[in-house]
Amino acid sequence: MLEKLEKCVESGEKMGARFVEARFDDLILRTLQRVNDVWKDIVLRSRIGIGVVCYHGGASGYSFTPSDDERELEKAVNRAVKVAKASAKVASLKLDFDRRPPVKSQESDTFPLKIHPRSEDLSYKTDLVNRAIDTAREFGIGISNIRGMYGELYGRKLFTNSEGSVIDWNFEVIELGCRVTSKTESGDLVNATGEAGGTMGLELFKTKGSTPEDIGKEAGSCAKEQLKAKACPAGRFRTLIENELAGVLAHESFGHLSEGDSVVVGESPLAGKIGTRLGTDQATIVDYGTPNISEYGGLWVPYDDQGTRSNETTILDKGMLKHYLHNRGTAHYLKQEPTGNCRAVNFGFIPIPRMTNTYFAPGELTKEEALELLNTGVYAIQASGGQVGEDGSFLFKATRGYWVQNGRIKEPIREVSLSGNILNLLSRVEGATKDLRISAGYFGGCGKNGQFLLPCGLGGPELVIDEVVFGGSASEE
Amino acid sequence: MMYENLKDELLSTVDSGLKYARTVDNEAEFELYLFYQNRAVVNITQGVVEASEGIVKGNAVRVASQNSVSFASSSGISIDRIRRSVSEAMASLRSVSIKDERFSGFCTPEKPGREGAFTREILDLSKEELIDYAGCVVKEGQEFDRRIKTVGSECSAEWGGFAVGNTQGLQQSSRSALNSCEVYCIAVNGEERRASYEFDTTRERLINTGGLGKKAAQRAISLLGAKKLSATTVLPTIWEPRAASAYILFSLGQSVRGEHVVEGRSPIADKVGEEIASPKLTITDNGQNPSGINTEAIDAEGHPQKKTTIIDRGELSQFLFDTYYARIHNSESTGNCSRRARATTSYETSPFIRPKNLEVKPGSKNLDSLIATTDEQAILIADAPLGLRHSNVSTGEFSAVAQNVFLVENGDKKWPLQPVSVSGNFYIGFKQLLNIGGDLTKTVFAVETPTLVFDGFSVVG
Repeated sequence: MLEKLEKCVESGEKMGARFVEARFDDLILRTLQRVNDVWKDIVLRSRIGIGVVCYHGGASGYSFTPSDDERELEKAVNRAVKVAKASAKVASLKLDFDRRPPVKSQESDTFPLKIHPRSEDLSYKTDLVNRAIDTAREFGIGISNIRGMYGELYGRKLFTNSEGSVIDWNFEVIELGCRVTSKTESGDLVNATGEAGGTMGLELFKTKGSTPEDIGKEAGSCAKEQLKAKACPAGRFRTLIENELAGVLAHESFGHLSEGDSVVVGESPLAGKIGTRLGTDQATIVDYGTPNISEYGGLWVPYDDQGTRSNETTILDKGMLKHYLHNRGTAHYLKQEPTGNCRAVNFGFIPIPRMTNTYFAPGELTKEEALELLNTGVYAIQASGGQVGEDGSFLFKATRGYWVQNGRIKEPIREVSLSGNILNLLSRVEGATKDLRISAGYFGGCGKNGQFLLPCGLGGPELVIDEVVFGGSASEE
Repeated sequence: MMYENLKDELLSTVDSGLKYARTVDNEAEFELYLFYQNRAVVNITQGVVEASEGIVKGNAVRVASQNSVSFASSSGISIDRIRRSVSEAMASLRSVSIKDERFSGFCTPEKPGREGAFTREILDLSKEELIDYAGCVVKEGQEFDRRIKTVGSECSAEWGGFAVGNTQGLQQSSRSALNSCEVYCIAVNGEERRASYEFDTTRERLINTGGLGKKAAQRAISLLGAKKLSATTVLPTIWEPRAASAYILFSLGQSVRGEHVVEGRSPIADKVGEEIASPKLTITDNGQNPSGINTEAIDAEGHPQKKTTIIDRGELSQFLFDTYYARIHNSESTGNCSRRARATTSYETSPFIRPKNLEVKPGSKNLDSLIATTDEQAILIADAPLGLRHSNVSTGEFSAVAQNVFLVENGDKKWPLQPVSVSGNFYIGFKQLLNIGGDLTKTVFAVETPTLVFDGFSVVG
C-alpha cells in the first residue's frame, strides 16, 4: 500500500501540485448495543480508503476513494490537483508552509494493548454488555429502559508526503457503557449512565472502577437516586464541576476557539490575544496527543493526519494565552510551531485543526477542600452534551448533580445545564483539585465542519467556579 | 456512473450481491444497501480556500437467521467489498447466539413513492462555479459594513442515489441531487462579537446566492449593542422559524420516533388520540414533498416514503415507523427508515427511524403582528438556541442558550439582548402554545415552520 501512496504523491507533483499528502485508513469499527433484552445492534464496519491532499498556490484541494485500484487513485489525485489549482486562483489568504525533514514512525508509536479487541471473540464482548445490564437492573428501581453498549475502533493508518515521511501506526479505542432510564411515581423519566473507555485493551474492563459491574452499578444506582432528585433552580450559582465536565468545558468552549483555522481568519475571539491574560492562575489548559494513559486515561494520537508528531501544547498557562492548535499552514501563518492537531474524521474528509486530548491541568485542592471552597452552590456531575457559539457562549448538560450547602452535599438534583461565556468564566475559576482524569471512548466524539464524531479525549480535575448560569425552573417575578 | 443509468447500475450490483449472499447461506435472509454520491464542497473564509471533490461509495449488509440479525458495512460497492460485508455479517451471526424474538423479516416489496424534484443543472455545476458562488457571497458580506470582520461561505453540490434489495424479493432505488450555499458573518464592535448565518439549500433549482451575504451581515450587525436582560423570570417567548424548527425537531421530532415509543423512552408513547398540544398545532412528516431535501421514492430499507400526520389540531395521531418497529407496535411502516443523512459514511449506519421533512401548518399573522399582540415583556428568539439538540427525549426538559435574541416590550421589538438561557419542558410548552405565525419558512433542519409563540418558559440573562 505504501507504494501506491507514494505513487499518488509522485503523480500529484507531476500534475503541478507544490506539495502532496496521501493517506490510507484500514479501520474496523464494531458496535454492540442491547436495549432491554433485545440486541439492537451487532454491527461491524470496515472503513477502507485513501485520501489525497494537494497544495498549490497557498490553497488546498482534496479528493478520496474507497478503492486502491491504480486508475481510481489516479483519478482522485487528478481531482485533488484540479481543485487545488482552481482554489489557488481566488485564495487571498495563503496558507503555505515550509518543508521539513521527513518523519518516520516506529513500531512503538502504536499504543501497546494487553488484550487487543481482535483477540477476543464476539461472545466475550456481548458478555461484557450483559454483565453491565444485569448489575444495573440489580441496583436500579422503576427502570423503563436500559441500554448497554460496547464499541471498538482499531486499525492501520498509513501516511506519506512530498517530504518522504512514512508514518504507519494503529489507532485504537474501546468503550463500554450503560444507560438507565427510570420512571418516577409521577411518571417523569430520569436518566443515568456509567461508562469506561479510551485507548486501552480489554484489560480495562478488569480494572477496579471500570468492570462491567462497576459501570452497571453506577448507572443503576444513580438512576435510582435521580428518582428523588429535584429540578435545579434557575439562576447564577457557585459551582464545583467534576472532571468530565471540566473536560467538556476545556474542549468545547475553549479548545475550539484555539484551533488555528478559526484564528487565522479572525473568527475566534482568541485571535491576536497571545500573551493576554484570560483567566485566573488556576486555569491551565493543555492539548496532548500522547498523555500518560495508564495514569490518567485518554486517547493515543501520536501523529496527526498531516504527518506531524503530536505535541503537548499548553494553550492557556495559568490564565495566559500561550499557543493555538495548528495544522502546518496555520502554524506557519501565525509564526508558531505545528502542534500535530490536523485530523480528519475519516478518509472522505480533508484534515483540519482538531483537538486530541484537551484538559485543564490539576491544582492543589483535595475534594473536601474543593467542597469547602464552593461553600454553597451546585456540584455538577458527568457531561451529556454541549455546544458553543463563535463568541465563546456555551451550554453544557450535566447528567446529574447535588445541591451543596455550607460545604456539605445535600440533596440530588436532576439533569442541569450550565451556560455562560468561556472568556468570562475563565476569570472566575477559583480552584482545582489534584486529581486529573481524561475521558475518551468509542461513542460520541467531536463535530466540526461536517466532520462528526471524531474520537477525542477530554478531562481535568474538579474545578470550583463562581457565578455559573444554571438553566432550570424560575419562579415568576 | 451517470445519473441517468445510476439506478440500473446499482440495482444490477444489488442483484449480484444478493445472489452471492444466497450462495453463502440459502436459508438466511439478506438485505443489501448500496450508496453512491458525487460530492463537491468549497469553503472560503476570509480568503482561505479549501475544496474537495470525490465519490462516496459504500455498501451495507444485514443478515437474519433464526431471529438473530447482524449488520456489516464496507467502503466501496465492488463485488469484493460486498462479499467482505456478507462475510463479516455472517461471521458475527455465527459466533454468538443472540436472539431478537421481535424480528419478523425485512421490508416486503411495495410500489415505490416518487423521487423529489430534480434539475440537471446541479449535475453540471463545476467546482469553479462553486468557488465563484462562495467568493461572491463572502465579498458581499465583507462589503456590507466595516464592523463585519469575518465572513465564511460553504457551497456544495451533490448527486447520487442508493439501492436496496432483500431476499423478500424487494429491489428498489432512488436518486436525488442537491446544492447548497451557507454563509456566516461575525460582526465585531469593541469586545462585542455577534454571529449570524443565512443559507439556500435546494434540489429543484440552482442556489440563489445573490443577497445571502448581505442578509447574514445585516442580521449580525442588528445584534450589536446587546443589553443584559438582568432577570430570572418566566416570560412568553417568540420563536422565529429557525428557532422553532429546532424546537420541533428536538422535541416531537424525537419522541414520535417508533424506537423511542416502543422502547419506553418517549413520554407520549401511550397518548395517541389524546390532546398533547394546543388545538392550533398540526404537524405532518412529508417524505413526498417534491422540494423536501429528504424526499426519496423509498426509505433506507426500500419502503415507499409517505406523508404522515403526527399532530392533528393538537391531538397526537401517529408515530413514525420503519418495518421492524411498526410490526412490534402492530402498526404499518410510515416509510421513515433512515441512515445518516448526507454524511460521507451514511451507509455505515444501521437503519434507524427519523422524520423526513417535518411541516407545521401555518397560522395567519406575520411576525410583526405576533410581536404587536404581545403584552408587557417577551423574548424574541431569532435563531436556533445553543444546546437544544442535547435535550432529553425522555423527560422533555430542555435548557438552551439563545444567542440571537431581542427584548419585546408592549408590542414593540426593542433591543438585542446578550445571550439568554431559556428552559422548560417541551411537552408542557406545546400545551402553552399561544400563537402560530403565517411566515412558513424552510430551515436547515428539514423542518418547514412558521414562528411559534410559547408561554411559561424560564429565562435567565
